[in-house]
Amino acid sequence: MDTKQTDKQETFGADIRANLRMLKEALPAEDILVYEFAAGDGTACAAVYADGITDKELLGALVARPLAAAPAPKTREEVRRKLLFPEVKEADDLDAAGKEILAGNPALLVDGVRGALILGTKKVSLRAVAEPQTAIAIKGPREGFIEDIKTNMGLIRRRLKTPALRFIMLNVGKYSQTAVAIAYLDGVADKKAIRAIEARIRAADIDGVPDSSYIARFLARRPLSLFKQAGTTEKPDILCAKMLEGRIAVLADGSPIALTLPYMLTEDFQSAQDYFVSPYRATVSRILRLFAVCVSVFLPALYVAAQLFRLRLIPFGLLIIVSGGIRSIPLSPGLEMFFLLAVLEILVEASVRMPKYVALALSVIGALVLGDTAVKAGLVSSPAIIIVAIAGISAYTVPDLTGTLSLVRILYVVVAGSIGPYGIVLLTALLIWYLVSAESYGVPLLAPFAPLIRHDLADSLYKADLAALDRRPRALRGKNRTRLKLRRDAAAGREDEQPSGEGPDGQAADAAGEEKDA
Amino acid sequence: MHKLNVRQICFWLAAVLPVSRLIVYPATLSFRAGNDLLWPALWNLIAEGTVLLLLLLLARRTRRTFFGLLRERAGEAAARMTALLLALFFALAAVLPLLEQRGFVLQILYENVPSFLSFAPLFALLLFAGAQSLRALGRTMDIALPIFALCFMILLLLALPDADFSALLPVFGRGMGEQARTALFSLPWYTGAPCMLCFVGNFEYKEGCAKKVLLAYAIGAAATLSFLAVFYAVFADISFLQHNALAQISKYATALTPLGRIDLLFVIGLTLVLVISACVPVRLCVHCLGEAFGGPRALHAAIVSILLLGVTVLLNPAFREAQTFLSERMWPVFALFGYGLPLLAALFLREKKAHRSHGIEGKTPRKDLSAADRTRAPSPETGRTLRAEN
Repeated sequence: MDTKQTDKQETFGADIRANLRMLKEALPAEDILVYEFAAGDGTACAAVYADGITDKELLGALVARPLAAAPAPKTREEVRRKLLFPEVKEADDLDAAGKEILAGNPALLVDGVRGALILGTKKVSLRAVAEPQTAIAIKGPREGFIEDIKTNMGLIRRRLKTPALRFIMLNVGKYSQTAVAIAYLDGVADKKAIRAIEARIRAADIDGVPDSSYIARFLARRPLSLFKQAGTTEKPDILCAKMLEGRIAVLADGSPIALTLPYMLTEDFQSAQDYFVSPYRATVSRILRLFAVCVSVFLPALYVAAQLFRLRLIPFGLLIIVSGGIRSIPLSPGLEMFFLLAVLEILVEASVRMPKYVALALSVIGALVLGDTAVKAGLVSSPAIIIVAIAGISAYTVPDLTGTLSLVRILYVVVAGSIGPYGIVLLTALLIWYLVSAESYGVPLLAPFAPLIRHDLADSLYKADLAALDRRPRALRGKNRTRLKLRRDAAAGREDEQPSGEGPDGQAADAAGEEKDA
Repeated sequence: MHKLNVRQICFWLAAVLPVSRLIVYPATLSFRAGNDLLWPALWNLIAEGTVLLLLLLLARRTRRTFFGLLRERAGEAAARMTALLLALFFALAAVLPLLEQRGFVLQILYENVPSFLSFAPLFALLLFAGAQSLRALGRTMDIALPIFALCFMILLLLALPDADFSALLPVFGRGMGEQARTALFSLPWYTGAPCMLCFVGNFEYKEGCAKKVLLAYAIGAAATLSFLAVFYAVFADISFLQHNALAQISKYATALTPLGRIDLLFVIGLTLVLVISACVPVRLCVHCLGEAFGGPRALHAAIVSILLLGVTVLLNPAFREAQTFLSERMWPVFALFGYGLPLLAALFLREKKAHRSHGIEGKTPRKDLSAADRTRAPSPETGRTLRAEN
């Protein structure tokens, strides 16, 4: 449908022929159909709908049948009462009706009745709610978002049964008119951030929004940044946990990936599983992830720098092995590493896109032909292959950062190969300066490390026990900071304790907590 | 809104300021004072600490910046002139650390003889850092402290087995005159007070703040002194030849034989802190130029970086002469700006108690504040939130 045409503010009259003509002119597409039928007294009725996304069975059973069985109603209110349908809206003008028809909700017109009624019989074929491939959990919930925004909103609502859960619904995309929802917990999320996010999404002028990543582009303060500007998740349990911390979620129809804002870099080092295992295990895992990220970024660069400029960094025994390995290599260490990293990226790119049946063949080619044979042919050295493999694998300990890490790793190799160890130092300093000056909706990207927020460290690199996570992250600036109250009698292990229920008491306690915060 | 947090100033004093004294300074001290190298360092540390204390007392009684106070008391022209002079001083103060760093980096991190081009990208970083806000500068201190603490302690621990502390005896072997001369000639390494002068009014002074800052300074001073002690205990009579003390101190550690020069990884870590510390005078120079002339920060940062690049290229082959000139000829300039100006500011720009109490209670009429300070004055009721923002 041409947007210009729907922008007309033409209102419906009582003549069904004129109304249908208006609609046909505004919606000339072939899949916009008109189902004409007569009421019990022969009055003409019509339902205009988009074929393929409207439940025609429901339309016939709950709309056409009751109207055909009795004389035609005279007003919209009477039509409403006749229909055995819960979701009915009124539309007075062509623009409103057109948008609803295109969204899958048919417009019902009755001759002699002014205006149209919009029936909520949208039907979209959906895949089942399943565990997302990118966030497989060994422990914890296995549900994942799907492409339907209503289902996704339902998955959130199922976990947050509170009136404080609010959705701001927007339509983005000049042609796609994609439904976008901003979800937040009223009183927990920072209102300024909500307003800023809403304003940015409203200001987005784009033809279509195929995925939430398009929205992320509009929400980014530094769109050209190498680093992520918004958190992403495919799991409703993670999203709800983040919302409970005070973050704001953005869902887009057609995308199973929800965005979370404000974003902090430390989020990517946290995993859902950390909250389902012992804090010791979670802390070890997080430190391991940080170590792996450092290995992934610095190891290839240090290897190149050590070979080119500072061999004493490498232990003597290993140095002999390395020097034996690199003796006949025609490429310089920097070029060799760059070449291998490029091969790694190609392999990763290919393995993501290829059909599953070819994957085995490719891994054989990748491992044997490109690895073993390249070493035997004297094109690359074994230590370089080992280092690239370690770096590549290490990056996947933090899956959300792999894209950024691979680019940063290549940058480091280029710098190490040209400037040497000092280049590594300078690039690190530059990244530090860049990251400390970056903010996501008022929240520093490197919080809680820079600026150091002592309280928030409890769920950053180390994971404290649940009892210590009694306050929401201070960096997120929410006014309601209390998220956990341990009852003293419960802490003392008394069996006659009362469960701390939600509702008025809980709210009062929360309010008291807030007062204490203030 | 305050740009810095007291914690970040503490971290700067405890980690970033001392690291600039660990390259050539120990060898210079040993050359002049021999085994008495700790005493001149101690005198300077005490003097700098005292000036810092006075500046903290100044910060306690005012919410204005140093330049804001100057504007109020001496007028716009005097404030701009002082800002320009301070900018020139910071540019001068940045020269020696840059030359030191150049020598250190090119000798320690490279086995071959790399060209100056390997060092030149630092000036691009200085440009970038100079154009960032003071808040970003503060946040880099949050990153620098853990790196410094970890790397410094490991290097010191690696060096300890080779240390013979009897080399530091007898005490006062060189006499007080020589110690005093050494203390004066090492003034280029003591530029913390003018930096603090620029920080006044850019952080929120709270009760007990002075204690925290002085404690942090004492920790930094202890780190410097302990490094000097271990350094001399390891190298004794040949310590004056060890110009890159930071990298030399732990090279004899026996644990390194099977692991390679693993200490170099920690040296690289400290080099990162060294790079951050080189950004501080540059950023403050840009700050002062902004106060003197106004205009975009990026332009000032570009001017300062290009100027420093030129000076470094010019002095590239003559580090020894440059160091001698800066320490033996220019020490009065460093004494004037390092101690004199902050001291004068602390004594003559102090606000009256009545004014101070009003300021603390948030009753100071905003029209009393200068235009530059009006934007900086915090609202008292949001003090808590602001801490998290920095």
